[in-house]
Amino acid sequence: MEVKKDILWRVYLSYIFVVVICLVIFGKAVYIQQFQGHYWRSMSDSLHQKIENVEAERGTIYSEDGKMLSTSIPQFDIYIDFSADGLREKSGVRFRENLDSLSLCLANLFQDNTAEAYKKELLYGFKSKDRAFLFRKNVNYRQYQELKTFPLIRLGRNKSGFVFTNRTIRLNPYKLFAYRTIGLDRDSGKGQKVGLEQTYDTLLKGTSGKRLVRYIAGGVSVPIDDYQIEPENGKDIVTTLDVFIQEVAENALMKMMVNNEAEHGCAIVLETKTGKIKAMANLGKFPIKKDGRDTSIYTEDFNYAISPSEPGSTFKLATMMSMLEDKKITLQSQVNLNGGTWEINGKTVFDSEKHGRMFVSAKEAFELSSNVGLAKMAWTSYSSNPSQFIRHLHQIHMDTLTGIDITGERWPIIHRPGTKYWDANTLPWMAFGYNLEVTPLQTATFYNAVANDGKMMRPYLLNAVKDEGEVIDAREPYVAIDKICSDQTIKDLHTCLEGVCIEGTAAQLFRNNPYKVAGKTGTALVANGSHGYADGIYQSSFAGYFPADNPQYTCVVVIKNKPHALRFYGAEVAGPVFKEIADRLYTTYVRQNNYQPKLVKPDSSFFSYVGLKQEIKKIANTIQLPYKDNDGKEDEMVSMDGNRNQVSFSERMIGNTSMPSLRGMGLKDAVVLCEGMGLKVKIKGRGKVSNQSIAAGQFIAHGQELTVELN
Amino acid sequence: MTDTLFSQMPTIQGMRSQLALRTRGDKFIWAIVVLLALISVMVVYSATGSLAYKMNKGNTEIYLFKQLAFMLIGLFIIYFLHRVNYSIYSKVAWILFLTAIPFLIYTLFFGAKINEGSRWIRLPIINMTVQTSDYARLALFMYISRVLSRKQEVIKNFKEGFLPIIIPVAVVCVLIAPANLSTALLTGATSLLLMFIGRVSFKHILLAIGVAAIPIGLLISVAVLTHKNKPDTELVGENVKEEKSKGLMVRAGTWIKRVQDFIYAKNEDVPYQVQQSKIAIANGGILVGLGPGNSRQRNFLPHCYSDFIYAIIIEEYGLLGGAFIMIVYLIFLFRGIRIFRKCPYAFGAFLALGLSFTLAIQALANMAVSVNIVPVTGVTLPLVSMGGSSFLFTCMSIGIILSVARNVEITEGKVEPESVLMDSPTTKEGETAVATA
Repeated sequence: MEVKKDILWRVYLSYIFVVVICLVIFGKAVYIQQFQGHYWRSMSDSLHQKIENVEAERGTIYSEDGKMLSTSIPQFDIYIDFSADGLREKSGVRFRENLDSLSLCLANLFQDNTAEAYKKELLYGFKSKDRAFLFRKNVNYRQYQELKTFPLIRLGRNKSGFVFTNRTIRLNPYKLFAYRTIGLDRDSGKGQKVGLEQTYDTLLKGTSGKRLVRYIAGGVSVPIDDYQIEPENGKDIVTTLDVFIQEVAENALMKMMVNNEAEHGCAIVLETKTGKIKAMANLGKFPIKKDGRDTSIYTEDFNYAISPSEPGSTFKLATMMSMLEDKKITLQSQVNLNGGTWEINGKTVFDSEKHGRMFVSAKEAFELSSNVGLAKMAWTSYSSNPSQFIRHLHQIHMDTLTGIDITGERWPIIHRPGTKYWDANTLPWMAFGYNLEVTPLQTATFYNAVANDGKMMRPYLLNAVKDEGEVIDAREPYVAIDKICSDQTIKDLHTCLEGVCIEGTAAQLFRNNPYKVAGKTGTALVANGSHGYADGIYQSSFAGYFPADNPQYTCVVVIKNKPHALRFYGAEVAGPVFKEIADRLYTTYVRQNNYQPKLVKPDSSFFSYVGLKQEIKKIANTIQLPYKDNDGKEDEMVSMDGNRNQVSFSERMIGNTSMPSLRGMGLKDAVVLCEGMGLKVKIKGRGKVSNQSIAAGQFIAHGQELTVELN
Repeated sequence: MTDTLFSQMPTIQGMRSQLALRTRGDKFIWAIVVLLALISVMVVYSATGSLAYKMNKGNTEIYLFKQLAFMLIGLFIIYFLHRVNYSIYSKVAWILFLTAIPFLIYTLFFGAKINEGSRWIRLPIINMTVQTSDYARLALFMYISRVLSRKQEVIKNFKEGFLPIIIPVAVVCVLIAPANLSTALLTGATSLLLMFIGRVSFKHILLAIGVAAIPIGLLISVAVLTHKNKPDTELVGENVKEEKSKGLMVRAGTWIKRVQDFIYAKNEDVPYQVQQSKIAIANGGILVGLGPGNSRQRNFLPHCYSDFIYAIIIEEYGLLGGAFIMIVYLIFLFRGIRIFRKCPYAFGAFLALGLSFTLAIQALANMAVSVNIVPVTGVTLPLVSMGGSSFLFTCMSIGIILSVARNVEITEGKVEPESVLMDSPTTKEGETAVATA
């Protein structure tokens, strides 16, 4: 009893002690919560909550026919955390077990290295214990999806150490294609943008949103419900560019530049009636080292179309217009070419060719592209009042920007009488396109105005702004000048330009052309920095429009040749590029639009059908038609041509790049064949193919439209 | 006929009452065990979200089922142990204590390192890490109860009463201390409390405290001195250096750091865990808190499912929930005292009392850490923290307490003695009856 009592008071004392501690603990908890609570809660917010920017999706740039020219796609960089707990646990057994199969999968996916090489790389990283081992950059979404199914990687970030960082990059699906015009958006906002990407940056980029996020386990953040400003995605813009025309222009220009090893060049195609820019190709030489040799490739490195240079002979049209408008000359006015040289104020004007002609008409002087002729006429007309000539140039906006909706258009240089740049010889040299600088686009705009009967359209690139597929802002063609000169002058200019292609400098080029072209060649000796004109660098150009009797497109080609190039005349260098573009456009668009179906008189005795040989044989056998089979092949396309009562088979050649003849084919065969070649087929009528909009043997482009008529 | 007639089967009621009949001991303690187990399942399920993400790709059910499994094993352990006659534990205590010492030594040198200290050994086959100090503590307290009950006549004697108790305590504490100073201190303090209750001379206890205070005082003074000599920024570098060196010096660095953190921390630079724990407490209201499963701090508070579970309880269930848990432990301790009062035999009485106080003090320590009254230690909240070896050792303690309670009931004649297991209330091998009614 004694002992237990002695113990009991100690027990109760201890119990009270425990209760007191409990009260102290509880008191502290109350203190933390009720008196310091605000402090801790706000600390919690600042530690775990953050306002994040939600990037808006950048808009897409489309061509006029709805193809994506520039769009945003996700890309991934892969890092490996070789110190990840899951990877290293049990001295890296997980890593070693998966190493071989993973290496094999990686080698199969990327196809750029052997499995052995990948294994080596991974082992090297594993040894280094690097926490952020850069494994690969710029992995696309498809590869990313596939990667996530690979051994080890599919175990997740903690076990594999694989970390994917996501970013959005700008992609031009057509690569080189109008690269400078569409522009770049380097590294999502960092660096300088150019072209349309910059011009319409505010439209494209949208507004980024904001949201409040709370960080939870695993470094993941979750948005907190009611605090979010939705990002407004960028608008899409539809350009006036046409994928087909751009491709044609780019290819034609590229071909000539490679052949001629030219320095740089550009080709512009305008839709005459509207001033829409259908194509704008810019190519510049870019030296590279390949197989240890110095060589060069051509890329879209600079927008030459909107950079001024001495235009040379294509400018003579402006001089002509000015003189005709002021009634200083008529087309028949005589001028003495002095055989091609003329000395004025101590300097000599040379014609580019030594032609030896003396007295010619003004029209002939233009067609021959005689510098002497133009300089002389201009001197006679304006030497007493050069400002009158300059005023004309001002009226046709030669001295100002075209106003095209792309950033980076540079100002032309036109000197004025009375300034320090003006001397006695400025005027005569200006008459044939020297002593001034204009951009190829200005030349194009001016020629377009001439083609458009004097109405100058402002060139433009933006067709419409779209938001989620809805057009929210459609741009209309804009008339810059209602009439650049009188109708009579326009008519005279038309005559002159057509004359160039019939009996002038471009006559050779357009001999036997199925449609009429109006244009002007240009060959300008350009200064090469401090070397002056001594290096013999010529800028060849061609400006014109077609078909001359009903102009649809205006095209300007300017190519700056290498020093002492073998060929440098406008008609030899820029002319063929123009002709190729014109030919392709004429067959695809112009002729198609004016195409009248011919009436074919049915004649049952003269027939031609195309089909699989074995099928045709079967038919012939059934209806007891005698036939002759030249070879034993069965599985080929043949045409069965009948003349009276004789039937012969002939093999149909089907290539991949040129248009096959569809005549006589059944609809099914024709469609299968054409769509297999990437053509879009439109059908009129029923029966067998009687007509095709793309003539047999012509080059075809992917996605081109083909109209097939059936009888 | 080999088949059984349904009528011959015991009724379902009967089967139920069979289990009820065999389940004895203090009803309150049983209720508390079940209650805490339920609370544990809820809180642990909520708190393991972050851990589940880290280890199992966010599959939190894994921890739910793990915890439920621990609950079942724990209940089975309690049931089994309470069916055993507690007098067996007197002998067992001695064996447990002797085996604990090599275990502690092994752990100290070869143990698995989890969170800095080498406190764990990994059991083969079942692949579970066991904190050997838990085992040692249980053994030590059982041993103290045994010695206290046997030496009551000579308890005031230094040589015969004091030394046989304090030496085992000192050995265990010294062996635990390098890896887990806080547990060592807690074990020492609990032992002293038990000694005080067990009528050990007050002078002797003060002496023991005095001797223990020397290394602790040294630690604090070193902490204060190094803190004053170096600006805060260099302390971090110092720590890194220390972690590179081997042996006890590593731990010494951590202790000093912790003591410094506790003494000098202003609100801006309190250690991360303490900061997060306080945020959790601040998040919970007075009455309701954020609600079950709505803890926010579980994502940031390390070990929120074990060492800091009390903070999560307050966050989810408010101060009221926190007070409730506290009261539950106080009732538990009170029932333990009641068993002590009722138990006529000295060993049983000390055993129940000692283990009840141990668990209550452990609970207090855990709560005190959560509200930052004491520095951060790795002590679990008994029965509530996520399962593991400490959970099972807690269950063993409770099973032993209930075993004593069951025998009390039998001696009081409330229930008929059963002939199950080695069940005999009679005094055995020198058990001294402390009092007779």
